[in-house]
Amino acid sequence: MTAIKATLRRLLRAPYSAVLLVGLLVAAVPLVSPERYVLRVMVYVGVNVIIIAGLALLFGYAGQISMGHAAFVGIGAYTSAYLVGPLGMPWLAGVAAGTLLAAAGGLVLALPALRLHGHYLAMATLGFAEIMHVVFREARHITGGNDGLGGIAYPEVAGYAIDTPLGMYLLVWGVAIAVLVVVANIVRSRPGRAMQALHATESGALACGVDTVSLKVRTFAFSAGLAGLGGALYAHSVGFISPTTFGLEQSVILVAMVVVGGTGSLAGPAIAAIALTLLPYADALIPGLSQGTVAVLQDWETDIYGIAMILVVIFAPAGIGGLIRRAWSRQPAGAGEVRT
Amino acid sequence: MKPTKVLALTAAFMLTVACLPVSGCAQDGGSEGETGTGGEGEPYRIGAVLSLTGTYAGLGIPEQRAIDLEVERINADGGINGRELVVIYEDDATDAAKSQAAAVRLIDEEGVLAIIGASGTGQTMAMRSDAERAGVPIVSMAGGSVITADFSEWVFQTPWPNRIVIPFVLEEMAAAGHTTVGLISDTGGYGVDGRDIVLATAADAGVTIVADETFNAGDTDMTSQLTKIRAAEPDAVLIWAAGKEAAIIARNARQLNMEQPLYGGSGIARQEFIDGAGEAAEGVRLGTGKILVPEAFGEGTEAYAVATDFIERYEAAYGTPPDIFAGHAYDAIGLIADALERLGSGDVTSEQVRDALEQTSGWVGIDGTFTYSATDHNGLTRDEMVMYVIEDGTWRLDR
Amino acid sequence: MEAAEFFQYVIAGLKSGSIYALVALGFTVVYGSTGIINFAQGEFFMLGGVLAVFFAGLGLPLPLAGIAAVIMTAAIGIAFERVALRPQRSASPIVLIIITIGGSMVFKSLARHLFGPDELTLAEFTPGPSIDVAGVAIERQALWVWGLTVIAVVVLAVLYRKTKLGRAMRASSISHDAARLMGIDTARVVMVSFGIAAALGALAGVAVTPLTQTAWDAGATIGVKGFAAAILGGLGNPVASVIGGLVLGLLESLSVAFVSSTYKDAISLVVLLVVLFVRPQGLFGRARREKV
Repeated sequence: MTAIKATLRRLLRAPYSAVLLVGLLVAAVPLVSPERYVLRVMVYVGVNVIIIAGLALLFGYAGQISMGHAAFVGIGAYTSAYLVGPLGMPWLAGVAAGTLLAAAGGLVLALPALRLHGHYLAMATLGFAEIMHVVFREARHITGGNDGLGGIAYPEVAGYAIDTPLGMYLLVWGVAIAVLVVVANIVRSRPGRAMQALHATESGALACGVDTVSLKVRTFAFSAGLAGLGGALYAHSVGFISPTTFGLEQSVILVAMVVVGGTGSLAGPAIAAIALTLLPYADALIPGLSQGTVAVLQDWETDIYGIAMILVVIFAPAGIGGLIRRAWSRQPAGAGEVRT
Repeated sequence: MKPTKVLALTAAFMLTVACLPVSGCAQDGGSEGETGTGGEGEPYRIGAVLSLTGTYAGLGIPEQRAIDLEVERINADGGINGRELVVIYEDDATDAAKSQAAAVRLIDEEGVLAIIGASGTGQTMAMRSDAERAGVPIVSMAGGSVITADFSEWVFQTPWPNRIVIPFVLEEMAAAGHTTVGLISDTGGYGVDGRDIVLATAADAGVTIVADETFNAGDTDMTSQLTKIRAAEPDAVLIWAAGKEAAIIARNARQLNMEQPLYGGSGIARQEFIDGAGEAAEGVRLGTGKILVPEAFGEGTEAYAVATDFIERYEAAYGTPPDIFAGHAYDAIGLIADALERLGSGDVTSEQVRDALEQTSGWVGIDGTFTYSATDHNGLTRDEMVMYVIEDGTWRLDR
Repeated sequence: MEAAEFFQYVIAGLKSGSIYALVALGFTVVYGSTGIINFAQGEFFMLGGVLAVFFAGLGLPLPLAGIAAVIMTAAIGIAFERVALRPQRSASPIVLIIITIGGSMVFKSLARHLFGPDELTLAEFTPGPSIDVAGVAIERQALWVWGLTVIAVVVLAVLYRKTKLGRAMRASSISHDAARLMGIDTARVVMVSFGIAAALGALAGVAVTPLTQTAWDAGATIGVKGFAAAILGGLGNPVASVIGGLVLGLLESLSVAFVSSTYKDAISLVVLLVVLFVRPQGLFGRARREKV
């Protein structure tokens, strides 16, 4: 077993082999199950992976809670939809604008909010998200109000419209892979270590010369930007957005994904995002599943999230990430478990 | 964590996930994902997106009942062209985003020929792009004018749209001597659509709008808005909303000791409104179709026969008489069934269904007699409207 | 604007303000004894209303149904504390936040499964026309809301000042560790605090349901507004929380009067953020100095 593990490890350490491997697998999915519906569902999954990567960085690594992350997703979505649609901007510009505006939103919130701690920070992010929800609902000329914004343009790159589920799947997952690589690199490098120091002990990090304020603000803005990017991609691939898509419930679900995935891990939250996003769409994966079963799953979705969150936090605080680490590392688990 | 590890694990997980459909694929007939399952001999598959929960549940539930009743009757009679009629339901929970997702699922996964829905205006509009892109006709049961005014080749409408109902109600109000009106409407599609039309047609109807307040779906207390309306001292108050908040508005108005009579449209023609508003519902007037008191059709007409037959069967099955929403649904499924029948027993595509719908002429339903065309996807006129007053907890014709 | 219209808004503001006050009290009681912000507080409000409808539906006369609802919600609050929170006493604030969030999700979902997704109604305690005072209409149920709020506040004040338990709670809120050192059973204090907070939330829910109806999702908005009211006054200070609630209610109501009804819900949120950013200790609290 260890021989197999060792071989695998050596293979994976070869430069860019993992990226190639993932690229192959991403390409494989549509070959294996090309139904439009499956691909559409996988697009949602990809979008969530992008958003979760950012939130895992902010919450899982830097330990800053964001109870309203879905609001940033919404900012990215509405901005891009509005700029590309009624204002006729090119699609890439719209997505970029959505990402930047969401990051700016994160910056604006972070500057005053990050002086707060724990509960107060959580409440501030919640308050911000609720205000954005009101804005989404009331700024009807831009957002279409409660009934949402429909007919959002397809992505268009260099004159080619990406209007098939397959095209959108490849686009979204291409971006998701790039995002995962970037975030993983951040985590491994100096900012990542600084974040983990910050999470463990803020005064300690300060004492070590980490500019904690700047780090927190930058991380918040970056993670908000990623959420906005996910939102923009979501808007153009689904074609319809409305305020309920970016509400408090969605924010809590995002937090649940990171909690279940485990703090201090990136693969854990990514896997949790994939699994939990797929849960209500189980009928896309298991075609024999009756509509009744799907309805039950969708009905109990929030219960599953809530209970899973509580159980993980109480019994397995390291979440899925912790399980992976234990399976992967040569050392047995125990006190003083080292974080990679 | 190393990027390689992250990616490897994510990829491994995805591969596992992707393999699941393969195992299922072998069993499946592979007929998913195609539009137009109208293959010879196979059942006709129609989708229905309704609000079975949420603030429009009072619309969706009678709609589902009506559709069930009719589908059962049709199939018991041998189906359409000898083929079974199958309706696949989705609950949009009065959420436009869910309606759109439901439409996508019905089109991509279930491969339906047409979609009945939604119960609400905003919810219908949310499904439009996907229906247009896929070429699947929608027959809506919502009353927003925009559904057919903002014309789409693929969207049809069975209720009387706001552009017919509102001028009717406003003129009745003027005729009763109420020339200044306070308006309260909701911010959903139906309310926004209604408000726009009220403001545009009030002057022609002989009415001045002296107060204009709005509320959001889900609001539980409209006393602030009504206080403002009360201060403007209108002759009457017009409620333009279709959800359960309308009952709260009626109660709030009474609690504020407001004496103005309340008026409304189809949105409040619901037993739920009467139940929720209790005493406050007495004396409320509303304009809508003739199903509530079928004598209005004129005894002896074909419309009267159709209506009373439906009422009898519905009451026998469900214990309560059908309301206007059951009527909208009866018409929707009836029009589709009629179109399918005219297409004969060969292969059928959703585009053919749309074309057949457009050829509907003189079809007698509950909401009225329908004649569609390539440019008219609503087919009804003001003749279908009457005024009711709520008395003793039920509707009476307001003579 | 005429006087009658203005005072109508004031009445409306005081009515919703009392509800916010009760919910805010719930936040304060828990925060004072435990330092935790209970994200499930809004759900206690919802449970009170929903359970009252349930018991009334079983045939209990209205007063009994209400009391039963309050007691049962208090029991749920205590159970939640014992099962989910107590084992994690020493965990970081984030963990506790997550647990209360998870709890709130579960309560909401269970309520939806057990009581359905639709609106639930409760009869007014004393049905009858609104009382007219110089052109201002005051609903009878509003009198109940105010009455119950006053009773709750008085009972709480008596509890805090005159009983041993109350003194223990006050000691805990000043310093958890010192209280423990003095021999106070802080675990019991925490448990009782949750019970009280749940009861207060439920009382608000029962009192207001005849006016607004209730449903499984009624807790979220109230939770946020109640919290805004609590920190507006000053978290941890019961009197301040009540004042905060009334002030918030008035602000909302008058904003509809003078601005527009559209942004009513945003008012409490803006208040929340302004207080958090500018003066986190609220109107009446003392600034806490953070020692690095």
